[in-house]
Amino acid sequence: MRRARVLVGVVALAVVAGIAGAQESYPTRPITLVAPFPPGGVADLTARPVAASLEKILKTPVGVVNKTGAAGAVGMQYVATSRPDGYTLLLALSSISIIPEADKIFGRPPAFTIEQFAPIALVSADPTVLVVRAESPWKTAREFIEDAQKRPGQISYSSSGVYGTLHMAMALLEHAANVKLRHVPYAGAGPALTAILGGHVDALASGPAVVLPHLKAGKLRALAGWGEARVASLPDVPTFKELGYPDAEFYIWAGVFAGKGTPEPILTRLRDAMRQVVADPDFKGAMDKLETPIVFKQGEEFQRFFDADARRLAAGVRRVGRIETK
Amino acid sequence: MTETVHNLLLGFSVALSPPVLLYAFVGCVVGTIVGVLPGVGPLAGISLLLPATFGLDATKAIVMLAGIYYGAMYGGSTTSILMRIPGEAASVMTCIDGYAMARKGRAGAALAIAAVGSYVAGTVSVVALMFLAPPLASFALRFGPPEYFALLILGLLVLAYMSSGSMVKALAMATLGLLLGMIGIDQMTGYFRFAYGVVELGDGIGVVPVAVGLFGLSEILATAGQETPPAVIKPTLRELLPSRQEWKDANWPIWRGTVLGFLIGIIPGSAHIISSFVSYAVERRLARRPEEFGQGAVAGVAGPESANNSATSGAFVPMLALGVPSGPIPAVMLAAMMVHGVSPGPLLIKQQPELFWGFIASMYVGNVVLLILNLPLVGVFVNLLRVPYPLLYPGILVFCILGVYAVNSSVVDVWIMLVMGLVGYLLRKLEFEPAPIVLGVILAPMIEMALRQSLAMSDGQYAIFLTRPIATTLLAVGVLLVLLSFKSLITHGFDWRERMAMAEKGDEL
Repeated sequence: MRRARVLVGVVALAVVAGIAGAQESYPTRPITLVAPFPPGGVADLTARPVAASLEKILKTPVGVVNKTGAAGAVGMQYVATSRPDGYTLLLALSSISIIPEADKIFGRPPAFTIEQFAPIALVSADPTVLVVRAESPWKTAREFIEDAQKRPGQISYSSSGVYGTLHMAMALLEHAANVKLRHVPYAGAGPALTAILGGHVDALASGPAVVLPHLKAGKLRALAGWGEARVASLPDVPTFKELGYPDAEFYIWAGVFAGKGTPEPILTRLRDAMRQVVADPDFKGAMDKLETPIVFKQGEEFQRFFDADARRLAAGVRRVGRIETK
Repeated sequence: MTETVHNLLLGFSVALSPPVLLYAFVGCVVGTIVGVLPGVGPLAGISLLLPATFGLDATKAIVMLAGIYYGAMYGGSTTSILMRIPGEAASVMTCIDGYAMARKGRAGAALAIAAVGSYVAGTVSVVALMFLAPPLASFALRFGPPEYFALLILGLLVLAYMSSGSMVKALAMATLGLLLGMIGIDQMTGYFRFAYGVVELGDGIGVVPVAVGLFGLSEILATAGQETPPAVIKPTLRELLPSRQEWKDANWPIWRGTVLGFLIGIIPGSAHIISSFVSYAVERRLARRPEEFGQGAVAGVAGPESANNSATSGAFVPMLALGVPSGPIPAVMLAAMMVHGVSPGPLLIKQQPELFWGFIASMYVGNVVLLILNLPLVGVFVNLLRVPYPLLYPGILVFCILGVYAVNSSVVDVWIMLVMGLVGYLLRKLEFEPAPIVLGVILAPMIEMALRQSLAMSDGQYAIFLTRPIATTLLAVGVLLVLLSFKSLITHGFDWRERMAMAEKGDEL
């Protein structure tokens, strides 16, 4: 009996020591960075260099796993329900705040909630830009908005899908400028871009990097951006804020999250590591090639950004509401 | 012309430089493996290997990825012909006549014809890509949702030629397929349809698990259920090569498949998958003896296998000429370029001549490599059939499960495959054919999306299909085809379907 008690004690001590040890020496085994979108997308292309730099800094293998499906919900749910031990991280985009809200308005059990995640660091935040075809009549954002006010529901735009990031950007603009546009959803940002190049829709909200070559080639024209400041690669394109529509603010951002309940020392270690990641020349070079500026926020600052963004998007999703077919 | 020759020389100087040649070769080998593995299709293969290309330069990366794409089309026919397991979605049709040929001891011939057809299609379509890319790309972009819808409706008419049995059964199976295709997130409203809380079903039922289950697993189950195991085929060397007659039968289908596949391939979206289905239907429509289809018709292998290969080159047209992510695979390849700081766009050919012409030249080289690789492999693969069934089939089963799981790391997909295997087995017993189900699963989400996008564009006006020339023409062709099928009613002739039914009953014609 006594022996058994000792044994229990020893085992308990070993377990406690093990946990404490694990925390001190985190990481002791490979880390998985989940990108909830397929290879080649923004999440994947950001996750790869993040993983490569983290690997150098934490001195442990960091593998990117594309857990895709249901517009990212599958991968995000996976991380939300994984053990919060710092070994399963998530590289999420803005849509992390949209999906639970969309679940809510449909009255279905949410795949996950944003409360299930502990933010680690923001890596990039690219404002979307409004583009139209070069031969279209609108030379400025003001002309576009005035025309849209005159002809409600006549000007069409493509998006990456309902409640997708590119849809939400436009929905925020519609509300801010009090206009009604015609939405033609596509299955992904690529097809949405193809649609405007083919002349099947009039406008598109897009990340700046993918439309840049088409702007340079004179196929598309950028009218305005959704950012707080102008896009560095498009210095002549004003922001909606400048034009007097401060509510039209939207970013396609990428950030790293852990599961809620991850021990604080591990979160601190990861935040610290992420600060070194964004300073890593290799990482900077990779992001340069993608023409995506690094925007780094962590801890409190990231939490504030994340909360404000989530509030904006939640309100946007609620305003869009359920899309009922006529 | 001289400029093109000059450019092509530049391209070959890039493509034949040892490092580029090596990566083209690696791409082709990986592609063949990806194609052979059941379940893993070119998109999955390219996606899995994309990260491995980040360390290379843009030309090498894209040459290797392209090699995987068209290499998969070569490899895809192998398991279809030998084991009735579609290596990827585009080789579903090859399962029918390719496998029938194999059962008749002509597996070697079928594989050789598939390889040569793929080679002809690959090479000819690269010529077309080289000369016609810029003008064709602008044309391809004019395919918006209404045009796409009209094209897919034409694709549905293909059904009439897919089964040799009862038309009612074929339509029933197509309906089942279309219904299965309805599962998943409604792309236009965000509703989850028939997902029953399974988040993984949000993306719908994948074509690959369905095809592998319906064709491959059902075949394994059916064979296992036989009282005496089928005799193991022992091919001799002489039987590996197609006969003179088989070459003759393959000739025109290869050329028609090439042209057809290329034209369907350039259209943005995922229409390239249906190229092999359409080719099969065309061959059957044109065949002098359509009743041979399903029993091992050479044209039923030659046409679709050529079509799916030239469709891959077609898919590169808008991607290279305009930098447009015109489909899932071009989108991944454009990402590979962006990672290397090459911004894909309309100026790509001008700004990156080494990349464009190197890529073109590497496709010529790659197709030769694949032919050299695949013809001797015919002998190796055919010998797989010598493996006794009790060893062969469990092995195949393992590969099917691994392949289907690997694509999305999704156990749900594996279950779909297993359920479809049982469904396929039951359908076989009841003499239903599975191919229309697969076509239904492919077409349902695409047709629905295109129709609803069109109506979103026109604010609900159906007139949009009659005001756009391409869409209207395609729909008119469809109506014409339907009317033509009524011809026999008027002239009181029997079409092949009725002739077959009568022959089965033993009636004299």
